[in-house]
Amino acid sequence: MSAADAAGAVLSVEDLRVGFDTRDGLVQAVDGVSFAVAPGRTLGIVGESGSGKTVAATTAMGLSRGPRVRVSGRVLLDGEDLLDAAPQRLRALRGDAIAMVFQDPLSALHPLLRVGAQIGEAVRAHRPGVSRAAARARAVELLEWVAIPNAGQRVDAYPHELSGGMRQRAMIAMALANEPRVLIADEPTTALDVTVQAQILALLRRLRDELGMAMVLITHDLGVVAETADEVAVMYAGRIVEQSPAGELFAAPRHPYTWGLLRSMPRVDAPAGAALVPIPGRPPSLIHPPSGCRFHPRCPYVRERHRSEDPALEPLPDAPGHRVACLLPEAERRVAWARLATGATPAQARAAIEPAGEEGRV
Amino acid sequence: MPRPVKRALPLALLCTAVATALGACGSSGGNSGTGATADTGAGGHRGGTLTILTSQDVASLDPGSAYASLDLNVLAATQRTLYAYKPTDPTNISPDLAAGPPQISPDGKTLTVKIRSGVRFSPPVNREVTSRDVAYAIERGFNPHVASPYASTYYGDVVGADRATGGPIAGIQTPDDHTIVFKLSRPTASLVAQATVLPLSAPVPPEYAKPLDAKAPSTYGNHVVATGPYMLTADRSGTVLGTGYVPGRSLSFVRNPNWSATSDGRPAYVDAIQVRIGGSTTVAGRQVLAGRGLVLADSPTPELVKQAYLHNRSQIFFSPGGGSNYAALNTTIPPFDNANLRKAVAAELDRQQMRTVRGGAVVGDIASHFLYPGVIGFEQAGGEQGTGADFLANPAGDRALAARYMKAAGYPSGRYTGGQMLQIVGLAGAPDSNDAQIFEQALQDLGFKTNLKLVDSSVMYARFCGLPKARVQACPNVGWIRDFADPQTVLDVAFNGNDIAPENNPNWPQLNDTAIDDAMSRAELTVGTQARASAWGAIDRQITATAAAIPWLWDRQPNIFSADVRCVPELWNQGHCDFAYSSLK
Amino acid sequence: MLWGIVLLALVSLLTFVIFYVLPSADPAQLRAGRDASPATLHQIRVSLGLNRPLPAQYWTYVTHLVFHADLGYSYFSGASVGSLLIDRLPATISLTLGAVVVWLLVAVPLGVISAVRRGTWVDKLTTGGALLGVSAPVYWLGLVALYLFADDIGKWPLLPGAGSYVPFTDNPGKWFASLILPWLVLASTFAAVYARLLRGNMIEVLSEDYVRTARAKGLSERRVVWRHGLRAAVTPLVTLAGLDIGLLLGGAVLTETVFDIPGIGRLNYDAIIHADYPVIQGTVLLAACFVIVANIVVDVGYAYLDPRVRAA
Repeated sequence: MSAADAAGAVLSVEDLRVGFDTRDGLVQAVDGVSFAVAPGRTLGIVGESGSGKTVAATTAMGLSRGPRVRVSGRVLLDGEDLLDAAPQRLRALRGDAIAMVFQDPLSALHPLLRVGAQIGEAVRAHRPGVSRAAARARAVELLEWVAIPNAGQRVDAYPHELSGGMRQRAMIAMALANEPRVLIADEPTTALDVTVQAQILALLRRLRDELGMAMVLITHDLGVVAETADEVAVMYAGRIVEQSPAGELFAAPRHPYTWGLLRSMPRVDAPAGAALVPIPGRPPSLIHPPSGCRFHPRCPYVRERHRSEDPALEPLPDAPGHRVACLLPEAERRVAWARLATGATPAQARAAIEPAGEEGRV
Repeated sequence: MPRPVKRALPLALLCTAVATALGACGSSGGNSGTGATADTGAGGHRGGTLTILTSQDVASLDPGSAYASLDLNVLAATQRTLYAYKPTDPTNISPDLAAGPPQISPDGKTLTVKIRSGVRFSPPVNREVTSRDVAYAIERGFNPHVASPYASTYYGDVVGADRATGGPIAGIQTPDDHTIVFKLSRPTASLVAQATVLPLSAPVPPEYAKPLDAKAPSTYGNHVVATGPYMLTADRSGTVLGTGYVPGRSLSFVRNPNWSATSDGRPAYVDAIQVRIGGSTTVAGRQVLAGRGLVLADSPTPELVKQAYLHNRSQIFFSPGGGSNYAALNTTIPPFDNANLRKAVAAELDRQQMRTVRGGAVVGDIASHFLYPGVIGFEQAGGEQGTGADFLANPAGDRALAARYMKAAGYPSGRYTGGQMLQIVGLAGAPDSNDAQIFEQALQDLGFKTNLKLVDSSVMYARFCGLPKARVQACPNVGWIRDFADPQTVLDVAFNGNDIAPENNPNWPQLNDTAIDDAMSRAELTVGTQARASAWGAIDRQITATAAAIPWLWDRQPNIFSADVRCVPELWNQGHCDFAYSSLK
Repeated sequence: MLWGIVLLALVSLLTFVIFYVLPSADPAQLRAGRDASPATLHQIRVSLGLNRPLPAQYWTYVTHLVFHADLGYSYFSGASVGSLLIDRLPATISLTLGAVVVWLLVAVPLGVISAVRRGTWVDKLTTGGALLGVSAPVYWLGLVALYLFADDIGKWPLLPGAGSYVPFTDNPGKWFASLILPWLVLASTFAAVYARLLRGNMIEVLSEDYVRTARAKGLSERRVVWRHGLRAAVTPLVTLAGLDIGLLLGGAVLTETVFDIPGIGRLNYDAIIHADYPVIQGTVLLAACFVIVANIVVDVGYAYLDPRVRAA
């Protein structure tokens, strides 16, 4: 559990596991994930596609229910377990207390309904007494709130008539129509230009502050997380492998996967001329995950016992808010990162921490 | 006229279902036990509406151009011709509009007919019918806008007819209002007298019809007036199109207010007649069998005949003398220019099997010559016994005889060894196609190589069998229906060498036998029914002897009607129920 | 619009050519009978105008149509073609529109339900029914319907049988009753096809992102399926229905024959049997008109239903 968990967390996920029964076997998309978010705070969840981040989010919203879905764990919204809730209750909460914004607003908004109608619908679904005219007025209000110019006319537009940035703003407006306590944003900027991205992120921060809501920001882009998140969880193969306050993650990451992510993106504070190093290999199968540490097939620092031992998510001795799931000793990790941060390659970093001779050579 | 396509029972349906004690399979039994008997209609109830169901529209309401059997059925209720057939006597003409029998001069060149008084046209014409009206009716047949199919064939000998184009004809004289005299250039008065049964002789008022006949084509049919017991409902100006006749939909008949029963032998029991056009024979037939007051005008499908025969025996009537079926062999090109080969084929063919696949004895009698029951001269040609030709003696065929004829033709092995491939053209659709195949098999059994083409009726006649240059060797599905009882209408056009035409040829075997042609020329001019019967009967024997065509069936046409209908069938017209004699029980 | 006129001209020319070039019955011969002399045949040809050169005949037809709105007169009955068409059109319209309503009322719920409850017995039942509806020939189905339910020949006499059609203006009650069986029979094939089509579209649409969004908004499942799902899935059906209506207005000859409904289809069929060229041309042009109009309406309708198309 992170620092902001038991006390004051509005959304608290405990040991969430989500598996899908397919013809080829059980796909364990989420394998024991726990996190919590407090009001006014942002949790960033980072990972490659296939890491389970979106599934965790949609399951939290109760959108993953189905005959072939196996869910266990708890998702507490203000203390109420959403996974246990009746479908009626879940529907009442969705779009009202907890809302979600999706990745591609062109496909996530209904192409044949006007934007204002879609927003108005969200309002009237949870406030039955509201008239159509009132809902429309509220939609205009919301569009203005998310800084869409000419909201009075734009409210009657169809999604394809708006630019990408405006569409995303409209979707955000729709999600926030009923002032939810929690907003989950799944890759909200991925489909947008870089300049627009910044605007949207700024918008999200502003709205979060104005409403005092908790926000979960899911992305594969560390840059997004750096700007907006208070706390970050890194997911790999359905699990959280590292979790810490944002600043600390960038300053002192402790998991080889996180290092890989950081070393594979350009950084202003890296030495000039340092090469970008992508993480070799592909994400693992979620039906038959690797034995032992799930990251071991791709880890440059793998040792023999990593193939059989599965690390748990443990807090660092000197920073309880920072947790890592890795079998490498802390001291060695510190050394390795020190090397990597100055531009060394993973091979060089490995050499620095390798005991001379004996085990470890893969 | 050439027979239209008819349908009949497939073998399996009838012969396995019906007890053989009835003798309905394989033997030529009489009419007893096979459906309703011919009703004269005497003592019927007055009143009610007779409803006729037909899937085909009438082709023409104009008596000057009508020829199809449904058209004749409809016109028989509204038009009175000089002479007509009573429903149960299809052979001898009876006076209708005429006051008495036809008076033929001894030289056969003058025909005088006295017309009854008191016969009046229906509204809006209303006045009494005179001889001038009959004269105009025939004269207009020569008008290109009317283009009667019969005018020149049967009235062509009238003096002045060869130059007629619709105006007065010198040879048709009307000395007074009730007498009409035909002056002929040849002694064919007996034929002309009988030809008056055709609707062409039904009176047409000239002052009313001339403006209509001036249009091309004439529109008289849509404004036709009646002299019979019934008329088509019309508006005040006499227009029937839209009221009495809705094309493709219906015909409506009511009593003709100007008709008087005393001048007519017809009982005219029903008050009104409705003809409903459209739908399908299958459904209509069922409605007729299950319903009340209905008559089916279509030829019933095999399933309907079976159902009626098995479950509604009194509601089906098999009308004899429906027409003849024969296989025409092309006598102008090899191999059937050889008479012995033709006779071999005739001997080989199993005519009984040809009938069995159509349903057995109920559907007709095995034919042995070309004049069929009801036609004058039938008995003189041999009647049911046949002409005595050996190759037609056995209805089931005679293989040994066939072999002998093959040898006589120059094929000692009894099988054809020439290289000619035979083109045979028959009708598509069962059971006609079955008959064509039986015929083809007979040829193959004799060693001929054959190519059988099955096509639609109008295509068969227009593009193959009736087109000499198509060089078709055999046409097994042709046949003939008489225009009226005189044997000339069955034999002349179909077998006279002078009638061979480059297209629309009705002499399908293209028989061109001088002796026969001469006999026909003489028989045409024979006066008197008895004499004509003998003359044409002899010609029938001669034609049969040439084996230019192989007769195989004399049809009995099935007709079905509701249980409460007393149908009086027109034996002279395919057994259609006659509106003016039929009644409701 | 202009394109439509060009198309109609092409259709009329094509019909004209087909009638004369391909083997068909000869109207003069049908009128005259088979033992008529060549002279008689010629006379009839002249009075029908059939002896004139083909281009001249065609030109006369076109000028009459365009300048006098005159479609000519039937070779068979002498009635004006226009009056025949007007006489038959109400029955065809009644048959078509009623059948459309029936098949949409059946297909839409079945399509949606079998998509939402995919794999259940409802879905399997719909699939089986669809297979039957598509494979059963309309004529046979009509016969079966009559043999079962017609009040004159049916086993369980419930509904009016063949030939009971009366125009709406004569007796609305009888008009309606007489059309129930024909509507059901004619609709059966279309209902089957449309239900399957909608089912496929719905399955696709229900897996789209915007449906997930609708659920995420907390909308009731019913609203998600019908307002969001169906709204997106139904557009192709509407355009297809428009085209099918256009085709059916040209006449449904098999249904009209079995049930003896005096419509355009039967008129056309009879005209072909009788080699009644002016009527054939009239019915074909009418059918072509309907198809062209239907296409235009469908295009407009599609733009109305799918705003994305308007931009293009």
